Amino acid sequence: MKLLLKSIVAGLLMFGCTPGLFGQSAAEISRKSTEVIDLGSTQMDFTIYIRDNKGSERVRQLTMISGVFNGVGKTLVRFTAPSDVQGTTLLIYDNKDKEDDMWIYMPALKKVRRIISSERGKSFMGSEFTNADMSKPNQAVFNYSLLGTTVYDGKECWMVQSEGRDQTISKAYGYSKSVSYIDKNSYLSYKVEYYDLSGNLHRILTSLDYKNVTKTTFFSYRTVMENVQNKRVSEMVVNKVETGTKPGEELFSPNALQ
Amino acid sequence: MKRIILFSILICTVLQAQAQWNGNTDFNIHGYGRGSVYGGSKAYDLTSVFAELSLQASVKKGPAILESDIRFSTGMFFNEKDTRFRIRELYAGYKSRKVDVFLGNQIVIWGRTDGFNPTNNISPNDYFFLSSDPADQQQSNFMLKMQYRPLPGVDLELVAIPFYKMSSYRFDLFDMGELGNYLLFVDDMLPERILANGTYAVRVNFEYPAFGGSVSWFQGYDPYHGFNVVSVNWASSQPVIRIASVPYRKTAIGADLAVPVGNYMIVRAEASYSHTKNPENKMFIPNPDLSYVVGIETNVLDFIIIGQYIGKFTFDYSPLSVPAPPKDSNPAALIQYTEKYIDYENRLFNRKVFNQQERTNHAVSLTITRSFAYDVLSAECTAYYNFTSKEWLLRPKLNWRISDALMAAVGGHYMKGGEKTLYGYSSAIMNGAFAELKVIF
Repeated sequence: MKLLLKSIVAGLLMFGCTPGLFGQSAAEISRKSTEVIDLGSTQMDFTIYIRDNKGSERVRQLTMISGVFNGVGKTLVRFTAPSDVQGTTLLIYDNKDKEDDMWIYMPALKKVRRIISSERGKSFMGSEFTNADMSKPNQAVFNYSLLGTTVYDGKECWMVQSEGRDQTISKAYGYSKSVSYIDKNSYLSYKVEYYDLSGNLHRILTSLDYKNVTKTTFFSYRTVMENVQNKRVSEMVVNKVETGTKPGEELFSPNALQ
Repeated sequence: MKRIILFSILICTVLQAQAQWNGNTDFNIHGYGRGSVYGGSKAYDLTSVFAELSLQASVKKGPAILESDIRFSTGMFFNEKDTRFRIRELYAGYKSRKVDVFLGNQIVIWGRTDGFNPTNNISPNDYFFLSSDPADQQQSNFMLKMQYRPLPGVDLELVAIPFYKMSSYRFDLFDMGELGNYLLFVDDMLPERILANGTYAVRVNFEYPAFGGSVSWFQGYDPYHGFNVVSVNWASSQPVIRIASVPYRKTAIGADLAVPVGNYMIVRAEASYSHTKNPENKMFIPNPDLSYVVGIETNVLDFIIIGQYIGKFTFDYSPLSVPAPPKDSNPAALIQYTEKYIDYENRLFNRKVFNQQERTNHAVSLTITRSFAYDVLSAECTAYYNFTSKEWLLRPKLNWRISDALMAAVGGHYMKGGEKTLYGYSSAIMNGAFAELKVIF
C-alpha cells in the first residue's frame, strides 16, 4: 500500500507489455502514466465522504505522509476524525517484490501492532474504496490489453483493460477486471470501471480536479468512487498538499508511531 | 459535589484555553459521554450501571506535549452508589524524532501477544471495572518514561515509577462459602514510599519488516499482587481472619516477537522469567516462574482469527498438603489445626491468583473478529480454556456504529469454573450481559 491519492489513479499503472494497436504499447503508456503521477515525498490532508443510498453521510479525515527510501515507498496515514479513531496511525511499506508490511498504532491499545497485509479487497475505512485501490498494483500479476479509444469528458482516451492472471489474484484485489480511460495527451486517468468476480460492473472511479504538483506531475484533488450495485458513493477530497520537503526515514519507523 | 464543581471548572478552563491558544499551538480536545449497563449475574441484577464523561485534551507546541484523559462517572457499582473523578492519564513532556521524555500519570502496555502478556508488568488494572471495553480496566501510575530511538526500527525505553500502585481485584465480593464467614478484608499493605521501593524497567525494542521483537527487564513490586493473612483473632467464639492485599517484589526478564509468514499469517510469541525471593515462605509471594505465550493471527474469509497457547512453568514447585485434623479434641490442638487449615486455604488461594496450582499450567485462547456492512457493524468473540484448572470463559460482543457520533455495543461475559476456583468465585459476580451507548465528540 503506498501513496493513497496517487494510487487512486491506479488505472494508470495497469498496463502490460502487449504492443498496442495505436502506436504505443501498454508498457509505454504505463511508464509514462507512472511518471505523470509520481509525487515523491508528500504530505497531504484529505477527507473521505461516505454516502449511502439513503443519503446519510459519514466523514473520515486523514493526514498522509509518504516518502521513498532505498526503493521502498513508505506511507504514514494518521486518522484525525472522527474523534474515536483520532490518533490511530497506519504505517505501510510498499514492497515491490513481496507483500506490503503494515503496522497500526491504536491509542486505546497503547502499542504498535503488526497486521496482516492480505486484505486488499476489503473496504478502506468503510468507504467504497478498497485497500487495493489505495495500492500500486503489482503489474506482474495482471494481463493487460488495449480495448480501443473513446472520447470521455471531451478528451480522447485509451481504454485499457487489466485482468488478474488467475482467480487468486482477482479475489485478492476484489475485482475480475478493470477498464481505465487514459487521456492520450496527458496520460492522466479520468475514469476506471471495476468489474466484480462475476464479471458485472461493480464500481466506477472518477478522478477530477487534476492539479500540477510540479511542472511535469499531477494528481487528482477529488476522486469519486460509485458503487453501481448498491448505489453507495464515496468521495475523497484533498484539502492540503505539501511536496518537496523530504521527511526523515525515522518518521516511518514503527517505533515512532506512538 | 466538590468533584462535580472541580470537573466543571476543568472543562470550562480547557475550553477557554482552547480558544486562546495561538496558531502555533496544536490544541485538541475530544472525548465521549456514555451510559453503560452490565448485569445479570447471580449476585447482582445490575452489577455495574454508570454514566461517564471523558475529556481527552492534548496540547502540542513544538516538542512540548501535554496529554490528558480525565473521566467523570457516576452510578451503581456492585450495589453501591459511587461517583468517581478519575485522572486516567495526565502527563507532560518532550517529544522529538530521537528522544521522548514524559512525566506524569501514564499507562504503559508491553508485549506483542494478545490479552495475555507475560512481559506486561508495569501498569495496574482494575479487574472489576465492568464495561464493554476491557481497556477501561487499565490504570495509570505516576512515572518517568523515556524513549530513545538511535536508529529507525530500534528504540530503548526506560520506565521509573517512584510509588507503587496495585491492581484492584475486589475479592471481598466473592462468596467463599463457609470460609467467607470468617474472612475480613482489611487495608492494603503498601510498601513504604521510598525510592528503594520504586519500580524500574527497561526495554529494547526492534521492529523490522522481517520481524519485530523486544527484550525487557523489570524490577519492582508487581501490580498483580497477592494476599496475606494478617492475623487470626480468636477473641470471639469463631475466628476472624484478617486478609490484606500485599505486593511482592520481583525481577523479570522477558522477550517477545512477531514474525509475518507470507501475507496470510503472523506468529507472535512472548515469554518472561519472574524471579522472586521468599526465604520466609510468605504466602503472598509466588514461586519463580516462566510464563510463555505462542499465538498465530490469520485471516480466513474476512474473519480475523487469533489463536494462542498460554503456558507457565513454576520452579521449586511442591504441592500443598491438606492439614490432618487432630486425633484428640484438645482445644490447643484444634486451634493449631485451624490455623494450619487457614494457612493452607489462603496459600491455595494465592496459587490460584498466580496460576501456580500445578508445576505446569496450560491454557488456550481463541479470538475471532469480523466487520460487516462497511465497518458499521463489528463482531468479536473471545474464548479461553485452562486445561489445568478446567476454567473457561466466553465473551461475545457486537459493536454498532450508528453514526459518526453515536455508537452502541452489546455483549456478554460468561465464565465457569469448578468449586473454589477463581472463575467459580468470579462467575457469580462477573457473568452477565452488557450494553453501552456512547456519543463521541
